[in-house]
Amino acid sequence: MRRWALPIAVAALLALAALVLVELLRPAAAPTPAEQAQQVAGDLRCPDCQALSVAESQTAAAAAIRRQIVEQLAAGSTPEQVRAYFVARYGEWILLVPTSPFAWWIPAAAVLLGIGGLAWWWRRGRATVAPVMQPVAGRAVREQIRDEVEQLDA
Amino acid sequence: MIPTLGHLAVVIGLAATVYAAGAFLLGGRSGDALVLTSARRAMYAAFGLVALACLAMVVSLLTHDFSVLYVARNNATTTPPFYSVISLWAALEGSILFWTLLATGWASLVLYRYRARLPALMPWVGATLALGTAFFFAVMAWPGDPFVRVTPIGLEGNGPNALLQNHPFMGLHPPLLYLGYTGMAIPFAFGMAALITRRTDEEWLAVVRRWTLVPWIFLTAGIVAGAWWSYAVLGWGGYWAWDPVENAALLPWLTATAFIHSSMVAERRGTLRTWTHALVIATFVLTLVGTFLTRSGVVNSVHSFTTSGIGAWFAFAILVTLGVALGLLIWRLPDLGDRRPPGAVVSRESAFLFNNVLFLGVTFAVLFGTLYPVLVEATTGAKASVGAPWFNRVNAPIFVALLFLTGVGPALPWGGASWATVLERFAVPILAGVGVVVAAWALGVQDAAPLGILGLATFVLVVMGDEVVRGARSRARSRGEAAPIAVLRLATRNRRRYGGYLAHVGICVMAVAIAVSATLGIDRTATLRQGESLAIGSYTLTYDQLVTEPLASDPRVIETRAELSLAGPQSGPIATALRDYPNSSTAIATPVVRTALGEDLYVTLLGYNSTAGTATIRVFINPLVMWIWAGGAIVALGALFAIWPDRRRAAVSAAVAARA
Amino acid sequence: MRVPWLRLLIVPLVVLPLAWLLFTGLGRDPRLIPSPLIGKPMPAFVGTTLEGDRFSSADLAGKPAIVNFWASYCIPSCVDEHPVLLDLAERYGEGVQLVGVLVNDTPDGARGFLARYGQVSWPTVLNTDGGISIDYGVTGPPETFFVDARGVVVARHVGPLTAAVVARELAALGLTP
Repeated sequence: MRRWALPIAVAALLALAALVLVELLRPAAAPTPAEQAQQVAGDLRCPDCQALSVAESQTAAAAAIRRQIVEQLAAGSTPEQVRAYFVARYGEWILLVPTSPFAWWIPAAAVLLGIGGLAWWWRRGRATVAPVMQPVAGRAVREQIRDEVEQLDA
Repeated sequence: MIPTLGHLAVVIGLAATVYAAGAFLLGGRSGDALVLTSARRAMYAAFGLVALACLAMVVSLLTHDFSVLYVARNNATTTPPFYSVISLWAALEGSILFWTLLATGWASLVLYRYRARLPALMPWVGATLALGTAFFFAVMAWPGDPFVRVTPIGLEGNGPNALLQNHPFMGLHPPLLYLGYTGMAIPFAFGMAALITRRTDEEWLAVVRRWTLVPWIFLTAGIVAGAWWSYAVLGWGGYWAWDPVENAALLPWLTATAFIHSSMVAERRGTLRTWTHALVIATFVLTLVGTFLTRSGVVNSVHSFTTSGIGAWFAFAILVTLGVALGLLIWRLPDLGDRRPPGAVVSRESAFLFNNVLFLGVTFAVLFGTLYPVLVEATTGAKASVGAPWFNRVNAPIFVALLFLTGVGPALPWGGASWATVLERFAVPILAGVGVVVAAWALGVQDAAPLGILGLATFVLVVMGDEVVRGARSRARSRGEAAPIAVLRLATRNRRRYGGYLAHVGICVMAVAIAVSATLGIDRTATLRQGESLAIGSYTLTYDQLVTEPLASDPRVIETRAELSLAGPQSGPIATALRDYPNSSTAIATPVVRTALGEDLYVTLLGYNSTAGTATIRVFINPLVMWIWAGGAIVALGALFAIWPDRRRAAVSAAVAARA
Repeated sequence: MRVPWLRLLIVPLVVLPLAWLLFTGLGRDPRLIPSPLIGKPMPAFVGTTLEGDRFSSADLAGKPAIVNFWASYCIPSCVDEHPVLLDLAERYGEGVQLVGVLVNDTPDGARGFLARYGQVSWPTVLNTDGGISIDYGVTGPPETFFVDARGVVVARHVGPLTAAVVARELAALGLTP
């Protein structure tokens, strides 16, 4: 029974992956104005709260900014232009995501360095590693061994 | 009188811990048992003294003694007794007092428990703990005196911060969190002792694992309780904003979790000992960084206590601790050399190591994001913000990879295995995962995030389920036990493993709940006239009337309530309010949450117009939110199960020791 | 026991940058945000005053001006700075033009505040849709902008005004009481 389980599982996974790929590559429907406004509002910081975005905040200042976002998008500005409009008035601080590329590269580099460091450390210790044993016994024998070990646990 | 006694207790406590530190150091070098006993007793005394000081503060709060500045700032004659008592930790000076209570409590517990064991390590453990607690006593004796008096004595106090007297969880979240924070000093102290005495073998690891898991449980519970509290109180419908102080609690949790996993490798394989030590040091230093961020005013946060000179003291503590610990680690590096080589590439060790790399990746990202504004300002003078969108975008892929690893780890044996054996183990879990994704998609879930997490969580759960089934099956075969009994016996014989499985189940539950609640929620805002309704999901809310009256529990607070009628899966009257506190210039929203198994109905009052009789409400339907809290509880339970003492094992060890 | 002095150099290499970061962080106030408007012409605005008259920022041209954002609910900060503003109007007289702009407030609320804390001789502009506060990047009342005679913003002060701040900024604009 288990013999064909793995190939089927792999096939199922690949099929799912293919479906996901097709879904992703399909030209996405353009976001509605409301969705666009929500997205821009989510990127701006509410000026008189702690760390909330304009989309989440309930303050009057946030409501005023949301109104302006909707107006400007309706008048034809791109999301980039709307963001720049607010940065010109409040400063970089109003953006919840820093614009500097360092903000993205540094954590990515840290993770990659970590993985690289791990690989290097592993290589270094490999010289004295004993070769991995291939399974010499079939499944039935292994199950029997497992049973006997359980019995030893007296 | 009482506040003076409190202050005196603090000063004597400082003397006691300083004495204890000196006595431990002397006793450590000379081995004199009398000196060491006196040192231990001094630490017990310090605990007793700070308990007295806390009692003094609580009495002052309950009796509304406004001659004490802390009471005048954080208490009022109308404050209910419950909130008076928990105001002990509501603001800066009191929180340090409470912290010191817990820190000396942990220290006394450990010193008492091991008073007749581990004679080589304990003096140095004691010295480290004594120095650490002495620092907090010193902070209370100088810049952060909780018992400072004020003249002239006012007739009325300021009252607690409005947000902190809105919900009883104020009594739950800080104690749990502080127990976690302060407890992390114990493994650190053992780590320092192991380095100083050069006893870096598995002995200290075995002790430290338990003493890391207990504070870890508290830290987990504290963080989840904090998220639940902010969800119930703040009114924006969310539970985690990557606020600097939320991050400060998460950072030591991340390194402690990494440590729990790497220590298993260190115990079994004798490798990664330097790394494991480094993690213990990092966890403790990060708890200090956490208290620094909350109290120094360096970053803007919901939690910021008032800016004060205390920040500089904590900064020094962080630098000195890091410098000494790092120096010691580097000095003793030769003693920490790995004794056995790492396992094969496909093995549980490698999965745990990869897990560590990822956890440290998240730790770095969160630390970087939290300190980025400080960094930018220090170098360019400009102000920058790093908010939830950045944290979510950077951390989400790493968390997804970690969730995947959670499924891979249990399927891999220690030491190594061939690809064939391993892949065979994944066949059924992968099929199950794909099946669940397809089923969920057919049922209407179209977003990628919840689908992906559902699939991964299923994969993880089936891998673990497979392990349990195999084990139970062999047990049933060899002993003829019925299946459920077999599972129970298996679990209690392998508490560490099965506790770990349960904790991972909790993680899966939380992951799915977070993914679903973050993407599939809906919200609607409307201004309603009396009698008008708002429909959302399967609920309808009808606005009845606006009621303004003082709170029964605290008449200084004026509450304006919008009373509504709810129709749907749950029905009946429901009210959401805005409260006017005398010490707050803006009204505080008191949202109402109706929790059901599948979703939460969450209603906030944004504003009202008494003359027109209208109310503006925002309603959320947040799916699966209660499973985030339930998942957190499962994680804590799993860890508790893992460390629960095993009477059989203890009996066997005792028998072996007796024979030796 | 040999002490590995060379390797121990790692310690200062880690600790010193961290010390610099923590202490420079301590020296700054995260609530003080520099305004991008400084050095640029003041954003123009029009509006209705509390009395119902029309007001335009163009009317301010030619003389230094102070634009003060406030609200009746901002207690105690706006209450604290009100006497400073009244005093400033009296002492500097015609030399500087004061304009008050409401932030998310009602005319009744504002009138109540002025009746209680002191009527003002300068226009108070209603800012009903919040557009003026957005144009000036106001994070919350009270905030004050100092504008020179050419209409260029020279300084922003967040928080209640004090006599010291007023004296300093107006001196920088070349004004004496």
